[in-house]
Amino acid sequence: MTDEIRTFAHGRRYSSTTLERWLALDASDGLALLELAQELRLGENQLRDLWEWAEEIAQRDHASLAQVLALEPVAAPRRSRSLGRSDKLKLIKTALRRLRFPQLAATEERLAALVRQLDLPGNIRVTFPEFLEGDEVRVEIVADSAASLEVAADRLRAAAETPACKAIFQVLEEAP
Amino acid sequence: MQMREACSVERGAQVPTPRRTWLPESVWIERAEEDSALARRVRARLPNTPVRIVDDTGVAEPRESFDEGKRCLVIKRHRGTFMQHCPAGTTGLVCCNYLVAHFASNCPFDCSYCFLQDYLANNAAVKAYTNPGDGLGEIDAVLQTHPSRTFRIGTGELADSLALDHLTDLSCELVPFFAERSNAILELKTKSDCIENLLGLDPKERTVISWSLNATAIMAAEENRTATLDERITAALRVQAAGYRVGLHFDPIIADDGWEEGYRQVIERVFPRLDTRRIAWVSLGSLRMTPRLKTAIKARPQPSRVLTGELVPGPDGKERAWRGLRVKMYRRMLEWLRQIDGRMPVYICMETPGVWDKVFGESPSDGEVAQRLVAQRLVASPPVASLQAVAR
Repeated sequence: MTDEIRTFAHGRRYSSTTLERWLALDASDGLALLELAQELRLGENQLRDLWEWAEEIAQRDHASLAQVLALEPVAAPRRSRSLGRSDKLKLIKTALRRLRFPQLAATEERLAALVRQLDLPGNIRVTFPEFLEGDEVRVEIVADSAASLEVAADRLRAAAETPACKAIFQVLEEAP
Repeated sequence: MQMREACSVERGAQVPTPRRTWLPESVWIERAEEDSALARRVRARLPNTPVRIVDDTGVAEPRESFDEGKRCLVIKRHRGTFMQHCPAGTTGLVCCNYLVAHFASNCPFDCSYCFLQDYLANNAAVKAYTNPGDGLGEIDAVLQTHPSRTFRIGTGELADSLALDHLTDLSCELVPFFAERSNAILELKTKSDCIENLLGLDPKERTVISWSLNATAIMAAEENRTATLDERITAALRVQAAGYRVGLHFDPIIADDGWEEGYRQVIERVFPRLDTRRIAWVSLGSLRMTPRLKTAIKARPQPSRVLTGELVPGPDGKERAWRGLRVKMYRRMLEWLRQIDGRMPVYICMETPGVWDKVFGESPSDGEVAQRLVAQRLVASPPVASLQAVAR
């Protein structure tokens, strides 16, 4: 297994620091990481991002890295035959992020649900600060005519008066 | 300015020491400082500790690990300025205009989250400076230049203010110096219970002795070699009885799974035992993590749980608990503190005006925070009932 890790890491031009850290893992953890890296043909930065979150989840939950990577939300995309490599990577990253930041992810999901309740047209986009570090909501309207702008503004005005809109700002203020 | 012979030496070499005093395995003295008062005092206190006199104390810097630097004591002259502005004065953060004075560098304690693991990574040997008089001269010049301003000056930024005091007697120099100045307050911040020197001094309301506090599980697991919570409380009671006001700092607040119960219990254990009218200030600050500090924490021999909270990168590049969670923690802790004594001055450290506004209902200017703390007026103290209403 050690040779396989070395071969993979050299083939992908990983740094010696990352390789040494990898080789220092327990055998089962090292193997689990190798299988993930091989399946998704991960570059060094991609691997490190997933590894860091998985490692922190493992420590928090008193589990091993291999156990975290075997959790169903992480394992399910890997089993999929219909998904391409980049889609799998995206889903795995999302799953690990949700596991790593459960309260933050739940809050983001709650906000997304509230935005859906606003029932805004497709040319109005609502975005929140990255990692919710702030309470300013960005609302963008894309219009190709005065008429479409007027319609969008009316829909936005109506949305601003709904309980869902007030709830958005309450959710942003404090963790649930 | 010459440092006078320190008070404990005057009482004799046998200093009553608290339970957890740090004793270095070796002492390195800069050759030119061999005959300094500090060098003589330390040698008298540590008669069985190997001493090396060297031209360049750089040879004492650890080669293998940061912790190795905590086994030796370097005695040298400080070159450069002693006083700096606290790094919280970063653009975009509300700052309390705190000044820090460096009379020592690094700390014998071993807190897993300590930022010095990053900041002093290449300069890790514990150092005590032989020329504190020069530092006091620097402070004196600032105080005289700005007689209408009142300064808060602390020595606990790059070192624990009291952890070396049983060897250096620095407090015996600092407390009387500040007692004679009308426009400054000294803060000695510690996780130790090294307070013996303080008990015989008269601070004249010009020195605050502060303790860092944390949830007991965090203290036990992450604050190695420090005094226990009970030892810190006992020490705080003793200095209050000796005429000092105390400060309490919940910093870093760690957002782990048990934070709510952990911090509530500590507040309930500590504050009812103290005279809350003699608490100068209480600060709240969440864990801040630079990428290099995170790497240093991961490299420690014992795994730390401080990284398992929901830490996310902020605009300044540091990771913190995400904002909604920080606001929740601050609000809860403020609520518990207010229930004990609504008059205690409370502030939050290294936070944006937006967070101040969510927690206190206002975002004061830097100058306002500073003035309130020195004037002993409350920092935004909404009635408990209204705070509970906003905190839901």
